[in-house]
Order: sequence, then structure tokens, then C-alpha cells
Amino acid sequence: MSAAAQRTLVKPPAARDSADFPASHLGSSLKFEGVLDCAGEVHVHGNVQGRINADCLVVGRGGIVEGDVVAREVRIGGRFNGRVFAFNVILDRTADVTGRIFHHFVTVEKGARIDGRMPWRPVNFFESFDQPPETQP
Amino acid sequence: MTMFTRNDKPTESNATFLASQSVRDKVEAPVPTPTLVPEPLEPKRPMAAAYPMQSVVSAAPRASVISKAMKITGQLESTEDIQIDGEVDGDVRALSVKVGSNAKVKGAVYGDEVEVAGTVDGKIEAKKVLLTSTARMSGDIVHQEIAIHSGAFIDGHCKPDYGKADTKNVIPVRKPAAAE
Repeated sequence: MSAAAQRTLVKPPAARDSADFPASHLGSSLKFEGVLDCAGEVHVHGNVQGRINADCLVVGRGGIVEGDVVAREVRIGGRFNGRVFAFNVILDRTADVTGRIFHHFVTVEKGARIDGRMPWRPVNFFESFDQPPETQP
Repeated sequence: MTMFTRNDKPTESNATFLASQSVRDKVEAPVPTPTLVPEPLEPKRPMAAAYPMQSVVSAAPRASVISKAMKITGQLESTEDIQIDGEVDGDVRALSVKVGSNAKVKGAVYGDEVEVAGTVDGKIEAKKVLLTSTARMSGDIVHQEIAIHSGAFIDGHCKPDYGKADTKNVIPVRKPAAAE
């Protein structure tokens, strides 16, 4: 939890060495349920249900994520169902997104499927962001 | 297409992210956006052709890595390998599980092969178990083959279970009685 609490969603973590924050991979055969907390990069190619707190989240093609995501950068190339709270969001052409994407910057590639809303939020929303609200803001 | 290869390094965008929207172009620069370049190409090929394109998002590695910056709470299940260097609070089930030297696992570990160099607080159930010298294990071990390097700490029972030779270990607990 500490990693999530100290970090701001606008700036990358202070000491951002690949040695300090090696990327985590959740392979295609992996199934995970629960809370995932990471100060670095997470690549999801498998199936994740639950919360993800990370600096950078990449949902690979074939990856399935259900739940809330809080991150500085999010890139989705797979299936996503839930809410994203991220400063910078990229949806690839293979993305299949249902839910809400709270963003400051967003990029959507042609071909992405989006069902839901993509509310823009100012920088200070992400600077002071703590935990996603239980109800829809 | 290299357009979507992941080359945006957060360090580059560090300063720019702080900047106001007026430099939005700059901020977007390291992030490969779908520019107008591919547009003319799009209508010429069927939609389906767009999909086999090289994924952006790096080729999916089969094995999973829980890095040291990561802390997870919940169940992990995989039919491939899992390397844990971070903290896991929950059960882990995989073909082969490696618990790195600074890793912590609080929960049961099931697998065909389990290698522990870190801390495991819970039981291990595997065909092959290896505890290296930095291992710290509190809990029972059910195994068919075990290797313990000198220096390993174990608090618990080691119990051989030969009845499970033909079963898949990814399946959780089996009653020893049923094996006989």
C-alpha cells in the first residue's frame, strides 16, 4: 500500500531505475484474483480480477482485466472491464474496453472498441488522487 | 510496424508531464500516437488484417514474474511458471514456482517444482522442492523429492507423499488417505 500512497499519478517515481522497479509480467496462463500493488511496471497478459495499483500498467493483447486500475500510465491492448484512473491512457486497436476511463491524456487507436465514458480530469485530480471512490464520481 | 512499439520511457516524459497543457504536443511526443500516416492504408485492407499485426504490447511471455516492486494480495494461479521476487499474500498455484531471495510468500504454494530462496510462510506441496541456503520456510512441506541446502531455515514438517505421482499437482490439497 505504501507504494501507492506515496506516489503521485502525474510524476513517475523518483528513483526510477529498471533495477529498482523491474517490470512484472503476468503471463497468459496466469489467473489472479485480488489486489495488486506495484511501484513499477506491470504487464498483464493473463486474467486479473480485482484492483491494480501500479505506476504503469500494460494490458497485452489477450489480457483480461476486470476491476479498478489506478496508475500513472495505462496502455490497453486487451479486454478491460471496470474503471481506469490514469494520467495517460493509450488504447490500442485491439482494446476492448467497458467502463470508465478517467484520464488527462488519452490516445485511442483506430479499431479500439470502447463502451463507456472517458471523463477528462485536470492535473490536480491525479496529483491528489488517493483511492478510487466507491461510487461513481 | 514499429509505430506501436513501446519506446516511451517515463523518464523522458517526466518533465513534460508536469508542464501545462500548452505543451501537450510535447507530452504526447514520446508516446506513439496513431498519426495520420496509416490512415490511407486502412481502407485498403480488411479489418481482420489489422489484427494479426505485431502487438504493441510485447509478445506475451509465458512465464510470470512478480517483481520486487510488487505486492499482491490474492490468489495466483497459472499453468506455467511463476517467479516471485515481490510479496505475495495468498496462495500460489503453478507448474513451477520460484521464490526469489528477497521474496515473501504468505500462503500455500502448490506446484510441480518449487524452489525457495526467500521466505515462505505457509505450506508447500510439490513434487520437487528445493530450499536454497537463503530460504526461510515456516510451514509443512509435502514433497516427493526434496533438497535442502545448508543454511536453509525450516520450521515445520517435511512429509513425503508418493501417492501423488500420477496426479497433477496444480490441483490443491489431496487427502493422503485417498492416495493409498
